[in-house]
Amino acid sequence: MNAPVSNAVTRSLLRRLLGNGTLIVAFIYALLFTIFASRQSDALSQTSITDLFNNAAPLALAAAGGSLVVLTRGFDLSVAGVVALSNVLMATQVGEGPQQALLGLAVVCTAGLLVGAVNGILVAYIRLQSIASTLATMIVTSGLALLVLDAPGGTVPDFVADTLTDSAAGIVPVAALILLAVVLIWLLLRRTDWGVALYAVGADETAAGLAGIRTRRVKFFAYCLAGVFYALSGYMLSALTATGNPNAGNSYLLLTFAAIAIGGTSFSGGRGGVVGAMLGAATLTLLQKVLFSAGVSSFYTGIFQGVVMILAVLVAATSDRFASGRRA
Amino acid sequence: MSAAVTLTPPPEAALSLDIDAVTKSYGPTIALRGVSFDLRRGEVHALLGENGAGKSTLVKILSGIVKPDNGSVRLGGQRFAPHSLMAARAAGVSTAFQELSLLPNLTVATNLTLPKQRKGLLGLASRRLNEAYAAQLLAECDAADISPGALVSDLSLAEKQRVEIVRAVSHRPRLLILDEPTAALAEPEWLFRIVERLAASGTGVLYISHRLAEVRRLCRRGTVLRNGESIGTVDLANARDGDIFRMMVGRGAEEPADATATPVRRDAPLAVTLRDLRGPGVDGISLNLHRGEIVGVAALEGQGQRELFRMLGGAAPILSGDVAVEGKPVQFASPLQALRAGIGFVPEERKIEGIFLGLTTASNISLPILGRLLRFGLIDRTRERAEVGRAAALVDLAARYVGMRISALSGGNQQKALIARVLLSGARNLVLFDPTRGVDVGTKEVIYGVIRDFTAKGGSVLLYSTELSELVHLSDRCLALYRGRIVGEAAGAALTEERLVSLATGHGE
Repeated sequence: MNAPVSNAVTRSLLRRLLGNGTLIVAFIYALLFTIFASRQSDALSQTSITDLFNNAAPLALAAAGGSLVVLTRGFDLSVAGVVALSNVLMATQVGEGPQQALLGLAVVCTAGLLVGAVNGILVAYIRLQSIASTLATMIVTSGLALLVLDAPGGTVPDFVADTLTDSAAGIVPVAALILLAVVLIWLLLRRTDWGVALYAVGADETAAGLAGIRTRRVKFFAYCLAGVFYALSGYMLSALTATGNPNAGNSYLLLTFAAIAIGGTSFSGGRGGVVGAMLGAATLTLLQKVLFSAGVSSFYTGIFQGVVMILAVLVAATSDRFASGRRA
Repeated sequence: MSAAVTLTPPPEAALSLDIDAVTKSYGPTIALRGVSFDLRRGEVHALLGENGAGKSTLVKILSGIVKPDNGSVRLGGQRFAPHSLMAARAAGVSTAFQELSLLPNLTVATNLTLPKQRKGLLGLASRRLNEAYAAQLLAECDAADISPGALVSDLSLAEKQRVEIVRAVSHRPRLLILDEPTAALAEPEWLFRIVERLAASGTGVLYISHRLAEVRRLCRRGTVLRNGESIGTVDLANARDGDIFRMMVGRGAEEPADATATPVRRDAPLAVTLRDLRGPGVDGISLNLHRGEIVGVAALEGQGQRELFRMLGGAAPILSGDVAVEGKPVQFASPLQALRAGIGFVPEERKIEGIFLGLTTASNISLPILGRLLRFGLIDRTRERAEVGRAAALVDLAARYVGMRISALSGGNQQKALIARVLLSGARNLVLFDPTRGVDVGTKEVIYGVIRDFTAKGGSVLLYSTELSELVHLSDRCLALYRGRIVGEAAGAALTEERLVSLATGHGE
């Protein structure tokens, strides 16, 4: 009886190492960064690193939110709408100064929370399909964004645009601090009952229910929190572009899911996490920079991003299969 | 930090359970027609019945997962109508589910502490405290060989079942429900010790099993369910197996002589030969299926039977190995090609894989032979009707159902239509995966008849069933599958449920 048990433990460990998507994406990122640094002499300079964080931050926040929903085996398309809505709100409704910036933050987060709550009610309580419901809320919020601002324009207050893209104390990029804060929040959340339940619900909703988990509530909060993260993504994007665009979210929709997949979060639920998704987002944005520095036309970016995504998913799938030893 | 675990609640906490005329239906399907029995304080009470007798529904009602339509349940004299699993648990009822409710992607410790983790600093879930709690719990339940840190997906089926039972016990229930707890257990003695210990301390145990030997060992009284009704509560010491079996199936026990009388048709020509078949979950299976032979396959859940049958039906890829039909090597990569090679497959998930709910029963039956019905490239409806009528008669499917949408038919009639379809295709060999699952007793008899008739005419059948009694009843010989391999075979007088159980749990030789 003892041998299979110790075997199981070794296998668990192996799987934790090999099947860990976060490690794989971290490796891909390190590889890309090495290429980037070798081609770009100033890659390690203060400005370049700040840029890297600034460019990655909006997608990373969106992917962090999306991965919460994907962990529950759902899909949340409303990211596109919420990012756009929070961008146009920032470009039209917010004035100068720190107080207004905080007010803006509160407004966009509330909007994101509301959209997330609607998603959560539709999916968790009314039990509609997540793709259909969030597609609907995406269309509604995109429409709202057009009502707020019907064409690209408006100005994001300088205070927001400057502070968030700057470096704190001249050393650490503010974007990096924000991302770090999100990582810390996630690490705490993971160790709450809700965080554990998220994985349980994603793996097997019925079994989770039989284990005493309130599955609907768990899913509802996942959508709510995701909405807030999308709003933060839009907030960060506003700081970066300093202007409003009602279509700002469109390019985020598919990239968010790509980032989640690259980060090792399984679309069949219960496996992966926020950190991986954020690294996935960082990888996608770094890839753009690498291609740019290599002089590859930007028209090719999509092709390369797709290839990296397939690679990451492939590596994750094969190493997981290997680690689980099912085919031995 | 972690609360001390004690398995023995104070005796005064023991409760009696009174179930009176409980009914439940799901839409038009009646699951419980009227169940009444009582469980005394500290009693281990058996609940007996065939699959589909209503045992699972009753378990769900007592666990707070579904609400009964009518009738009353009283626990310790108080009305007991839990609105959720947690409410039932709070009232002192906890359940080890048959279908196992463990999360494969979490560790044993996390599973044991769901839904509330043990908290350490800052109120955060602590892996260390969780595992310490789990280790203590497992040790108290005599299961210390299971590592708290192991992922559940890495455990064997028997280990999973033990964790499921440990978890139910860990809630310190005053009434413990065990639903087929030994289905995957290689060493049921372990469970018996726990049950006896709990019962001695006054905990009531509702023990659901169809293994009479176990039930006799643990329980003094048992209630028999049949077709959603409680047929009666018997004093097990004074009841013979045959009497209980008769109560369970509603007719006399099949004479075992019947089964042994069938000659094993080894001298008949070969119908299907498998040579070292391999694929996901299937680890080198070789077997000979003779004309006119019914070969049963017995296995615990997840031992490769599903994969094997899907491979033979062309629904799953064969990685290596050979299949020959009547001596000719064949290859197929889809159910249609398998059918053309002479193997007809009736899959398990008929709603998903078997039928087209939007089409009529007739169209569902005639699908594989549409090619034969063509005239000038169009379907000849007159001939279709004639062929379908012929096939429907074979399976005793009433003519009025043929023109109806198949979604309007009961599960049993849908299954008949599916079997009619493979029969109509002219396949000489049938691969049937649990063909009587969830169908009523009458339909079962019809399906048995169809299978016997088919082999009497020279067809061959490979049959998997979750009901061992069915395998014993129908098969000429029966193979046991364990971890993707054939681990044993029973035929003739040796073909008994007990023998199959010991083979299927890997304790054959």
